Amino acid sequence: MTGYLLRRLAGLVPVLLGITLISFSVMKLAPGEPTDASLQFNPKASLEARERMEKLLGLDQPLHRQYLRWLGRVARMDFDRSFRDGRLVTEHVLERLPVTVTINVAALFLVFGIAVPLGVFAAVRPGGAFDRLTTVLVFIGYSAPGFWLALLAIAWFGVTLHWFPVSGLHSIDAETMGLLRRGLDVAWHLILPVGVMTFVGLAGLSRYARSGMMEVLRQDYIRTARAKGLPERRVLFRHGLGNALLPIITILGLSLPDLIAGSVVMETVFSIPGMGRLFYDAVMARDQNVVMALVTIGALLTLLGNLLADLAYAYADPRIRVGSAR
Amino acid sequence: MTTAPSKKCQALFKSAWHSNRLAATGAAVLLVLAAVAVLAPWLAPYDPLAVNLPEALLAPSPAHWLGTDQLGRDVLSRLIFGSRISLLIGFIAVGVAVVVGTVVGLLAGYAGGRLDAILMRVVDTMLAFPSIFLLLAVIAILEPNIYNIMAVIGLTSWMGVARLVRAEILSLKEREFVLAARALGASPLRLMARHLLPNAMGPVLVAATLGVGGAILTESVLSYLGLGVQPPTPSWGNILNEGRVALGVAWWLTLSPGLCILVTVLAFNLLGEGIRDGLARR
Repeated sequence: MTGYLLRRLAGLVPVLLGITLISFSVMKLAPGEPTDASLQFNPKASLEARERMEKLLGLDQPLHRQYLRWLGRVARMDFDRSFRDGRLVTEHVLERLPVTVTINVAALFLVFGIAVPLGVFAAVRPGGAFDRLTTVLVFIGYSAPGFWLALLAIAWFGVTLHWFPVSGLHSIDAETMGLLRRGLDVAWHLILPVGVMTFVGLAGLSRYARSGMMEVLRQDYIRTARAKGLPERRVLFRHGLGNALLPIITILGLSLPDLIAGSVVMETVFSIPGMGRLFYDAVMARDQNVVMALVTIGALLTLLGNLLADLAYAYADPRIRVGSAR
Repeated sequence: MTTAPSKKCQALFKSAWHSNRLAATGAAVLLVLAAVAVLAPWLAPYDPLAVNLPEALLAPSPAHWLGTDQLGRDVLSRLIFGSRISLLIGFIAVGVAVVVGTVVGLLAGYAGGRLDAILMRVVDTMLAFPSIFLLLAVIAILEPNIYNIMAVIGLTSWMGVARLVRAEILSLKEREFVLAARALGASPLRLMARHLLPNAMGPVLVAATLGVGGAILTESVLSYLGLGVQPPTPSWGNILNEGRVALGVAWWLTLSPGLCILVTVLAFNLLGEGIRDGLARR
């Protein structure tokens, strides 16, 4: 296992370098220099002042030096300051992180809790009425733009029925509420976004659960379990799902980039102040430091998700574990 | 309807219908859609760009089947012309992705060794970026117009094709007909172009069909976020974006373009799955 882990980690090094290289290139592709933001509206800034500033920021160095310098800072998770308000980028990110993580974890639990039973019951009788119904829903979930479903949910549940608030995280009078009511208020605001994200996420996972379960149900040991007269529920959930679940769990690790991408769209639609919204605002304001920090962090999180998925799989599947010990 | 070719067409459609109804439905929807896109100037009842402020935000009616937007433009006409942009972006973006992915996969699979290792690390790297981040960051820098959008969507979605082609080439390379061709002295170029590539294209076709739907979805997200096709040119995504402001009073501005995207992407997905099934059965 240790050998496998080490090899996997070593394989990540070139990818990590590639990620930083691409991020850096995109940053350099942007027209204008970071000095513009602080100097261009200042008529008193002389040419010498600009040169001093460039020297201070290391912009007079050749590109590869600049890259190495930036790389060194990224390794310490230092992404410099936002062009817009001069605050540290990491401060911005840490401030927004809890909201995004809360929403995604909540949606993930719901997706998992709903998609797996859906997939199992669809797999029990492939081609049956239930399977067909879920297949239709899955294809719609795959094909519909998530932001459009969100807009429809806002129009119907928010504007027409007035059941749920349609944007933000707090009611206007949140300041006057006690801690408990405030928490409930936030949860209240999150019902629509989490609901829509759950529906969108269901499609992929229930499909995987279905095909995984169908594969397992074909095995001999399932026939044995049935033949020795175990109750069907036990056959399905203990012998069947127990073995089908493993590949599904690794899907969770692989779905991280989709979650991040979903956050950008959903947080923009629902005006939720999370990481996705931070990214969108930074892109629109051409705030390169924030943009590049989030692109890099997003890629790192994706790698981490893949790694965890692989490790979970290797840990649970003896064939991989033993194979790597050679 | 009595001429020979149309009978042949009917027979073809019938056999497709029997082997896979969903896929045949998808193909039929796409044919209709393609016809709409090509015939847009003749089908659209109004000029999609004609502003008519006195008739702004009209509900659907016999005069305007799908209502009008804030500027009094006919929504149906805008959707009809929008189909051109959406389909064009979908196809060209996937074309870029297929070309880049095929070249990379072919080189990696055929050459093997160090080149393979390097190219696959590049693929891993590109896959690590949540694509929406890279898309938004690059398009914001390049400024959004339809050429940049097609290029950037294509250049951020070729990795899947590269992996597919590489895997196919790796297994084809050892097959007897390829070994035989090599023994007969076929040059590497001829091997790749005549023997390897044609036999590797099945899975690519499936990926490309599904990819067009994906690219149309991506375009709609970009346009919705204001970084896609710029107004006044209608695309389904930016019609949605413009409708968002009037969500409370004019739901038809949001419903109809979304349905267009849903139906189109659904059709591509059904067709893609159908082709996959067909290839698997062969």
